[in-house]
Amino acid sequence: MRRLHALETLEDDFRGRPLVSFCGHCGSPPPPAQLAAERPSRVCGHCGLGLVLSAAPAVAPAIGEPFLVVDSTLSVCAVSAQAEELLQIDETRAVNRHIADFLVPADANAPGADNLLVLLVDAAAGSGEPRTTVVRPREEFGVRFHARIGSCGPPHAALLVLTS
Amino acid sequence: MAATALLGFGRQAVRCEQRLATRASNSHDPGVRTLKTSEAAALLNVSANTLRAWERRFGYPKPQRSAGRHRLYTHGEVAALRDALQEGLSISSAVSRAREALSTDTHTLVGALAGYELDRADGAMECALALRSVERSVEEVLLPSLDELGRRYGTDSAPWSFAARWADGWLRRAQRLAPPPSRPLAILVGDATRNELDPDALRVRAFELFCGRAGARVMALPVASVSGLGELVAALSPDALVIAGSHVCDDAVALWAYRVRAASGQLPTALFRRSHAADAAGARVLPDRPFGAQRQLLALVDDRRAHIAAEAPPLRAAATPVRREASS
Repeated sequence: MRRLHALETLEDDFRGRPLVSFCGHCGSPPPPAQLAAERPSRVCGHCGLGLVLSAAPAVAPAIGEPFLVVDSTLSVCAVSAQAEELLQIDETRAVNRHIADFLVPADANAPGADNLLVLLVDAAAGSGEPRTTVVRPREEFGVRFHARIGSCGPPHAALLVLTS
Repeated sequence: MAATALLGFGRQAVRCEQRLATRASNSHDPGVRTLKTSEAAALLNVSANTLRAWERRFGYPKPQRSAGRHRLYTHGEVAALRDALQEGLSISSAVSRAREALSTDTHTLVGALAGYELDRADGAMECALALRSVERSVEEVLLPSLDELGRRYGTDSAPWSFAARWADGWLRRAQRLAPPPSRPLAILVGDATRNELDPDALRVRAFELFCGRAGARVMALPVASVSGLGELVAALSPDALVIAGSHVCDDAVALWAYRVRAASGQLPTALFRRSHAADAAGARVLPDRPFGAQRQLLALVDDRRAHIAAEAPPLRAAATPVRREASS
């Protein structure tokens, strides 16, 4: 319910499915004035530290949910403020590093199709429905997060939302 | 064509000299197209506050300061960021991509020097100067390129010798084209490097260049030259002494510094790129980067002048009782 309040449907993807917009850093939807501007900026009008991205409502993060954006080479492209706090990483140092430097599958026995990296590559290619898996911070044991993985963009990338 | 290129008088070299000659002031470079905060913000379609927030968080775009301490952004940096933002997923990745785009000058310079192509090397520096100040072109393109060549081939190799001589020539040319001294500040540099092939020598040349561009009168002298130092010190009357380089042993440096001090009296002394800096008695150790060293040295001299001015008895206070005595 909170997500429905936070996110506003903006446009459709190439399959005609609705998309919602959110900031790649603070996760907030762009202010209406920003969307109505003659030359809308891609930079978040709230925090100014992230770019406005779009994703399917089922994948998009609710306000306060930590998330990361990963490209098709599995390099980290964006880390939300909440994810920075949760994983104790700094976005400026995390970009261009491999996602496996920060998160690894928590379920070693997961079948191939559910493998974290496979899901991320599929999502970054813009294909497939949102999927979920379980991950843990690298070199930390006993901590697990449910991860919701889907496509976002532009350009095409994988969105990994961490849920408790 | 090849002969002119090898002599360093290629078309690129001439263009580079013209560009250097237009760079007069130290705080902001009129040869580089710069943007005010509002103009840069408009180009990026963000607010001025956002631009300042990016400067704090990402250190990019990094503005210079005008004479009135206002931010001046380099057009090249802002344009590179604008292009990167259009295809980026985050500000961080866009900044990283913009920085990469700007570092192509370094790759070009390394390639040109490794291929013994003087004209291309001059061209790479010309491109660097189109986007950056002289100081940043030297610190972000010239010196890192030479470091890369040193790592790749070793500092006893032919590519290194060729590149070091070219860079030394480039820095000396820039020094000749620097504006005349504009502030009452003279710096004596004791050059303790081996020769122009010493890896520290280029940084010492860059330091001299930056001090000269900041309006100081700079004189560099090998620490081996001790005879006639008194006359030189009398002519220059230095405000600071800098020992630069680590090739010459401490004894020879100490003798030279002693002779300078004997002629000039107490002088603030600083060490630059001197590896035995730990046992520097009373001398300030300057940062390794030439621009940082220049700024710290100027601050050191200014502090000393302010200290001396504060300690001197105020003239009016001394004059008042005399006047009273006369009236009584």
